[in-house]
Amino acid sequence: MSSVILRAEVQGQIEKIAQADIVVGIPSFNNAGTIGHVVRAVQAGLGKYFPSARAVIVNSDGGSTDNTMETVRNTSIEDFSAILLHHRVEPISKISFPYSGIPGKGSAFRAIFQIAQALDAKACVVVDSDLRSITPEWVELLVKPVLEGGFDYVAPLYHRHKFDGTITNSIVYPLTRALYGKRVRQPIGGDFGFSGRLAQFYLSKDVWESDVARFGIDIWMTTTAIANGFRVAQSFLGAKIHDAKDPGTDLSSMLYQVVSATFDLMEGYADAWRPVRGSEDVPSFGFEYTVGLEQVNVNTGRMLHLFREGIRSLHEMWRDILGAGDFGEVERLGTLRDEDFVFPLSLWTRIVYDYAIAFHRHNFAREHLIKSLVPLYLAKTAAFIIAARNMDASEAEAEIERLCMEFESSKDYLVTSWK
Amino acid sequence: MMDFLNLIFDPLREVFLKFKSFLPNLLAMLVIMLLGIIMARIIRVLLVKFLTAISFDSWCDRMGFTTLMRKGDLWGKPAVTLGAIVYWLLIMITLMVGLSALQIVAVDNLVAQFFSYMPRVFSAALILIIGYVLAGFISRGVLIAAVNSGYHYAKLLAEAIRALLILLILAMTMEQLQIAPNIVLAAFSIIFGGIVVALSISFGVGGIDAAKRMIERDSGENRASKSSGDIDHI
Repeated sequence: MSSVILRAEVQGQIEKIAQADIVVGIPSFNNAGTIGHVVRAVQAGLGKYFPSARAVIVNSDGGSTDNTMETVRNTSIEDFSAILLHHRVEPISKISFPYSGIPGKGSAFRAIFQIAQALDAKACVVVDSDLRSITPEWVELLVKPVLEGGFDYVAPLYHRHKFDGTITNSIVYPLTRALYGKRVRQPIGGDFGFSGRLAQFYLSKDVWESDVARFGIDIWMTTTAIANGFRVAQSFLGAKIHDAKDPGTDLSSMLYQVVSATFDLMEGYADAWRPVRGSEDVPSFGFEYTVGLEQVNVNTGRMLHLFREGIRSLHEMWRDILGAGDFGEVERLGTLRDEDFVFPLSLWTRIVYDYAIAFHRHNFAREHLIKSLVPLYLAKTAAFIIAARNMDASEAEAEIERLCMEFESSKDYLVTSWK
Repeated sequence: MMDFLNLIFDPLREVFLKFKSFLPNLLAMLVIMLLGIIMARIIRVLLVKFLTAISFDSWCDRMGFTTLMRKGDLWGKPAVTLGAIVYWLLIMITLMVGLSALQIVAVDNLVAQFFSYMPRVFSAALILIIGYVLAGFISRGVLIAAVNSGYHYAKLLAEAIRALLILLILAMTMEQLQIAPNIVLAAFSIIFGGIVVALSISFGVGGIDAAKRMIERDSGENRASKSSGDIDHI
């Protein structure tokens, strides 16, 4: 584990800095357009809320070709007095370097954890480099619960459009909550705060040559913290607005990465989640306020078209995974008209659990298995969009809460089928 | 008189002497075959137990081998069937080794031919099994990708790819077994090439309008999805 090789110049910088209270990690890959704003927001946050703390900003880059690292090096707040009433006392160091190892966000995080460990950091924060809505307050909200509240892990809590984050809302959040019993609303948010102790624990895990290094680091960090009994909280950060995803990243690949990482963790932590029933809130920080969000238009007709194609072409596979009863129910949904389309919560819950069981039993090649979930997921998403079209944000959230309760009440089905 | 008796008894003596010298070979063959049969039975029992322990039947179900067996009117469990195949293979090898113990030139040639052909049988069986699994894997991958792209003929496309791959595998297997290799190669080239040409011509002649509609619909959907501002799934 401790054999991560950091470049000589990075080692030199670490030796020069010697110790830090706070490490802020920013993984990046071709984010020159947005990373400057993120660095400035972090610098302002550190200057405003932690003026006497020794802080280091670490940019762990995946080999950008658009001068992302140069942007980080050249970005600084020249005149703190324009932003802050108090001038920062301690200077903020910056380390920007290309990480080594398997390409992926996990490897970038590993290098950040290493530096945090080497600097004996008390608190760490990681924020995405494509954020447009980050403010200095994010640093306070992610660091203070660790430094002053004794928490080990702080997950983000965002206001998002009711149609956004559908993989989180319909799979990852209900499943993680039902499994581990903690209501962490954004388990794959991407912006987290955590203690130096937890960073060391992450480094001690033998996962850095696995898929975790490539994708799935967000759910891995959240689940590892919860399942190992670390103190978990969440902080309200406002809206999350970031650059549009790479159009080359298709939905099935996204779904595969997120869901396979979540299912994989179920294997490792089966003893932790099997006895858990119900769920409890985790402490929340930050002042919640309503955020104006951009209008999102969705083509539910195309989603349902793909679902019906799935019924026609994937029926053998789905019958194997879901069983004849639930597959019959899915077939019946295929006959509904678009405007009347509904997806029963209980059926969706059993589908997710059946896929988790099939993943556990290695019934199919894992990529095939999870990618075959796409048409079903699109049908569930379309049903939610149709139902929530005239709902306000709180009503849409109540709908997600109902789904979570269904996941919790049906957990016995998962536990008894898991052998 | 003695000469006459010698004329009768000499061939008999000769046959007796030959039989006497042949008897150890015969006994050796019988012993080899007896031991071979016992060994084959033990190996079959152990193999079936081992395959059951590692859930070989479930693996065959997933890979589609069980379905293939049922189509071929084989109704035993895959583990038991594989055990039986290995058993009869060992019996055949035992028989060949036993026959070679007789030290008869004609039989020796037959045994030599059998053993020189065995590697080809093994590699052909390997090509067939790996190819079948691979064809299933690829066609399922194509099916899922095509469905997720909204392609209307996903199932047809996947089945066509599977059929072509199996055709290719069968040709490779036959070529490996040296069964009329020239005819197999020619037949494969004609069938494979014929399918490609037929598809090209039929699509070119009959599918112009369909192609036009598909391209228009695809670009229309792309425009629609771009202009509608897709949701952020993560």
